[in-house]
Amino acid sequence: MVIPSFVIYLFVMAFPIVLSLVLSLSNFSGGKIFGSAQWRLTGFQQYGKLFTDPYFWHAFKNNILVVLVSVFGQLPLGLFFAYLIYRKIVKFGEFWQGILYVPSIISVVVIGIMWNLIFSPYGPLSEIVNKYYSLSYASNLSKIIAGSIGSQGKLAISDNLIARIIALNPQSVASTFSNPQVELKDLLISMANMGIPEIQADLTHLFAPVWSTSFLNKEGTAMIPILFVTLWCWTGMYLILFLANMQKINPQTIESAQIDGAKEKSILAHIILPELSGVIMNAAILCIAGSLNSFALIYAMTGGGPARITQVLSIYMYEKAFMGTPDYPLANAISIMMVAFSLLLIALTQNVKKRFGDQNE
Amino acid sequence: MSSKFRQEHTVGSFLWKFFAYLIMIVFALLAIFPLIWLAINSFKTTVEFQANMIGLPKKFYTQNYSGAWRIGNFGVLFGNSVLYTLVSVSVAAFLSLLTGFGFAKLQQKSTKPIYSIFILGILLTTQTLMVPIFLQISQLDNLLGNFFEALGLCNAKNFHLFYNTKFGVILVYVGSLLPIGVYLCTEYVKSVPTSLVEAALIDGAGYFQIFISIIVPMCIPIIITLGLLNIPTIWNEFALINIMVSQLKLQSLPLGIYKFSGTLASDYGKEFAALVIGLLPMLTFYLIFRKQITRSVGNGAVKG
Repeated sequence: MVIPSFVIYLFVMAFPIVLSLVLSLSNFSGGKIFGSAQWRLTGFQQYGKLFTDPYFWHAFKNNILVVLVSVFGQLPLGLFFAYLIYRKIVKFGEFWQGILYVPSIISVVVIGIMWNLIFSPYGPLSEIVNKYYSLSYASNLSKIIAGSIGSQGKLAISDNLIARIIALNPQSVASTFSNPQVELKDLLISMANMGIPEIQADLTHLFAPVWSTSFLNKEGTAMIPILFVTLWCWTGMYLILFLANMQKINPQTIESAQIDGAKEKSILAHIILPELSGVIMNAAILCIAGSLNSFALIYAMTGGGPARITQVLSIYMYEKAFMGTPDYPLANAISIMMVAFSLLLIALTQNVKKRFGDQNE
Repeated sequence: MSSKFRQEHTVGSFLWKFFAYLIMIVFALLAIFPLIWLAINSFKTTVEFQANMIGLPKKFYTQNYSGAWRIGNFGVLFGNSVLYTLVSVSVAAFLSLLTGFGFAKLQQKSTKPIYSIFILGILLTTQTLMVPIFLQISQLDNLLGNFFEALGLCNAKNFHLFYNTKFGVILVYVGSLLPIGVYLCTEYVKSVPTSLVEAALIDGAGYFQIFISIIVPMCIPIIITLGLLNIPTIWNEFALINIMVSQLKLQSLPLGIYKFSGTLASDYGKEFAALVIGLLPMLTFYLIFRKQITRSVGNGAVKG
């Protein structure tokens, strides 16, 4: 009964781990693996290479960030929402639950590309902020130059207006137009017929500070969108998980506590959280395992870029194996490191769980 | 009882309620609004999107969809996705239940260690192993190809059993679904009375017969749970199929959508349409089976 699935399981999981371990200790560089004398075991030098590789440590650091935000972001948020719904602090629980779970069911490829568009330097986030700038600029303009915007909302272009616009910010105008007088006039005339919003936008680009999300492309901030999307994506799943297990709590326990005068706070601390501790720890294990190895979301969102800033271990491994000249031993060493690291963290959580469990009994 | 709680309806509890609703509404909007934004922009031309990224389109431009569908070859990819999902989810469910039956009811000495090997697999996602899996399947093809060539059966270069085949994709998918499936099924089959199995054994029924006539009918709920959990997983899977196939005719929908962000990225209208095409199937699936999916996630994913 067990044999067919055990064979498939060995083929898909156990054998690759062994293969990976062997190759990570070798100098294999393509060609045949089986029945060939082109490669041999060379010991731990790949791991040495890895530990002195700054990109590896950078990817490792990013991965830790993702794990931390997942465990200490998704789980508490999910728990919080589940609590709000379970204790009927907010009504229409099923409705909120239904909506918050939607991101978890959608392909992470779609999610990654979508958020990448939203956060892109010329994307909608920038546009929202710039629209605000342009509106405030237009009102400023009409204050400074009375009558520049006519009754129909169209720009009344005159030499006087142009001179005064240039006077507002001569440097900016001069740096944008080689011949400020002529070209600015052309620009304004060409746009005067198109209604006011376009002019507002372009004047904004000329004079107002143009805000853009490009600061998110820098070291130090580049991980923020990814961490945000990680939260956005999976919180709903933990909400459902925790809520389902809260609903398994015997309602009489809570009712009798309330009759004894227990406050909401103590119901949460002394009934709900202890009852859920097992589920929370299990969720933490799954959360660590999932976030440590996350690949598709970040791959679709940034691909590890710009310039490897947002790389995590799985993407670094992918790059080493499938982009450019393959470095299979190193990629396999990364793979083994990820497996080892998962096991380590999970053992750690199991340990905490045991102690936690003992205290409850 | 109610008189006791009326006193809690103070200003503080009102503020707390207000705060709770506020957070709920903010997060719900955050969850939904980007998707609505996608849908709106999928009806704009690229030029219109660049001038107006947030508002409604002036005219609903539906050619984005037909264009994206054609360029992305979504007809083929959609069919592949359906095939991969249905076959691997059902094979995995069948095998999981069979294995769960073995673990729960037919215990031998080797049961425990093998079971714990499966459990370990829940925590090691197959994505971690994409490099060795790729090497393994391509090298095995190579090996078998050379063998068959030596026998004069085929040309080694054209031989593919695992890499670039539907069989290979489904095999790896089934393997990646087995650990959690085996775990859930084993736990579930344990609740089936052992006396039923024993009685059938005395009546002379074989193990497989018992499996089909007793275990399967009693385990329909767990099969449904597995199906609802696994269908989105496989449908949305990207990392593994990305390395297992290189030919368009074998690719799945997520691979096709991913292409729109790379080579076709300048055509925003079609990119948005492709994204909407990518999210609609699972959104529909969720809207239809919302209650059952919610229950499956709540009960299935982890047990306390």
